[in-house]
Amino acid sequence: MDLLRHLRIWLASIRYSLVRAMMFRGDFIMWALVELFWMSVNVLLVGVIYDHTDSIAGWSKYEMLLLVGTTLLVQRLLMAFFWSNLFELGRNVRSGTFDFFLAQPGWPLFMVSTRKFDLDGLVNVPVALAIVVYSAHQLQLDPSAAQIAVYAGLVLCGLVLHYATLLAIISMVFWLQSAKGIEGGYFGLTEFSRLPREALRGVARVVFVYALPVVVVSNVPARLLIHGFEPGLIAWLAGATLFWLAVAVAVFNAGLRRYASASS
Amino acid sequence: MSVVAKYRQVFLTGIQTSLVYRWNFAIRATFSLLHLVYIFILWGAAYAGQSEIGGFPLAATLTYFVVLLILQFFLSAANDDYEISEEIRNGLINQFLTKPVNYFAYRLSLYFSARLVTGVLSLVPFLCILPFLGPKLTLPAGEHLALYAVAAPALLLSAFIQFTIAYCFGMLTFWFLEIQSFIILSLAVEAVLGGQIFPLDLMPPWLYQLSSWLPYYYQMYFPTALLTGRITDLSVALQGLAIQAGWALALFALARFLWTRGLRRHTAVGG
Repeated sequence: MDLLRHLRIWLASIRYSLVRAMMFRGDFIMWALVELFWMSVNVLLVGVIYDHTDSIAGWSKYEMLLLVGTTLLVQRLLMAFFWSNLFELGRNVRSGTFDFFLAQPGWPLFMVSTRKFDLDGLVNVPVALAIVVYSAHQLQLDPSAAQIAVYAGLVLCGLVLHYATLLAIISMVFWLQSAKGIEGGYFGLTEFSRLPREALRGVARVVFVYALPVVVVSNVPARLLIHGFEPGLIAWLAGATLFWLAVAVAVFNAGLRRYASASS
Repeated sequence: MSVVAKYRQVFLTGIQTSLVYRWNFAIRATFSLLHLVYIFILWGAAYAGQSEIGGFPLAATLTYFVVLLILQFFLSAANDDYEISEEIRNGLINQFLTKPVNYFAYRLSLYFSARLVTGVLSLVPFLCILPFLGPKLTLPAGEHLALYAVAAPALLLSAFIQFTIAYCFGMLTFWFLEIQSFIILSLAVEAVLGGQIFPLDLMPPWLYQLSSWLPYYYQMYFPTALLTGRITDLSVALQGLAIQAGWALALFALARFLWTRGLRRHTAVGG
């Protein structure tokens, strides 16, 4: 029942955000273009590198593009549903506006995470999907319905993992003077999701493949389309999702206990 | 108070303000090492099986990215556009209209102080990993000395261009309520055409030539290419310096124009 009430609150927030986006249409178009341009930058990088080489760690140009497209897909979903909310969490804790969320009749983390919805992020989801579909077509892949369904589930796991990463990083604001620049940590870590797992060796492999889930988050769904089912990898991603979400929530709750409001 | 003393005071205050956020800068610099690890892995994998890409060995490309990253901390106008926008929107610029303070010079002083603090703090994590990093990098030989002499003014002009572009974006607040999207779009253009995503010389030659006439080329790529040996021809370097100076002047003129025009639209209210 409580879950249903929270879901209704989320839907109401999404409705409000949509109305707001339509009120500031110019702004919405501008932000959609900004996201589109940043996505193009990632695709351009693949194009430039493959102008000079045939393979990166055994991945061909279109395999790499499929990997990048999968990462972009997860990131667009994060931008649509959670980015603004968590980004503003950092600012709100510093200014004391965070009190407002604590006073609301709902789970604080839920209220913080779902207040805004960014349509500009969502309108670029089809673009990211188009990159994945185009790459799959170039690779002459013919995924089954089951493969596509599991791919969607893994992308969802990716979204939760990206959310957890961002939440854990932004929650550092409870211990710091301000959140200025700390969101850079999220971008620093998620860059690795555009790398093939085979490119990482030694310590980097231990840290970014096994200890942190930043490589498997994109590699597992991309490999599913390219190489078919690999149950071990799928279980790994699902397990990592649950574990890191629990860690992020624990960090947020620890920060919440430390929070003592701010003077105005 | 002399003009120099006035802005020196602003500079010193700016250093104090920036030092309040020293941990944030240090954390940001540490996070940027992650970007460096990513670069090393990506380009290391791209170079596998070949000794050169675009005529440069792996060490030269890695050096390019390391120098670029350090220069970003010293030169990049990270938050100035946003701060200027906030000052206009909140009416904080009103105080400068009634005082003998030039707003451009005031903000430029703050820019230099913030960059000094950020730059120096960014060196700490880089120095920590230098023993690991050093053997993987390469710098141009002694005959490159003349190009280093060109790099010195290029770095100053690069800082000026970086700041002035940010200032111009801040000025847009006189016309638009929200400029954040313009700033992020500009950052994306800068990232590509400034050589932050890949060295510009890896682009097709016609696109590289075209980019060398744009101001973004002179924000980051030009000084970095001079320091890391990607530009070796002195005449090309001097021609670049001349174009860079031209852009610095043009952008300064644009900044003054936007300030003058913007003030005509500005309404100072409250007491």
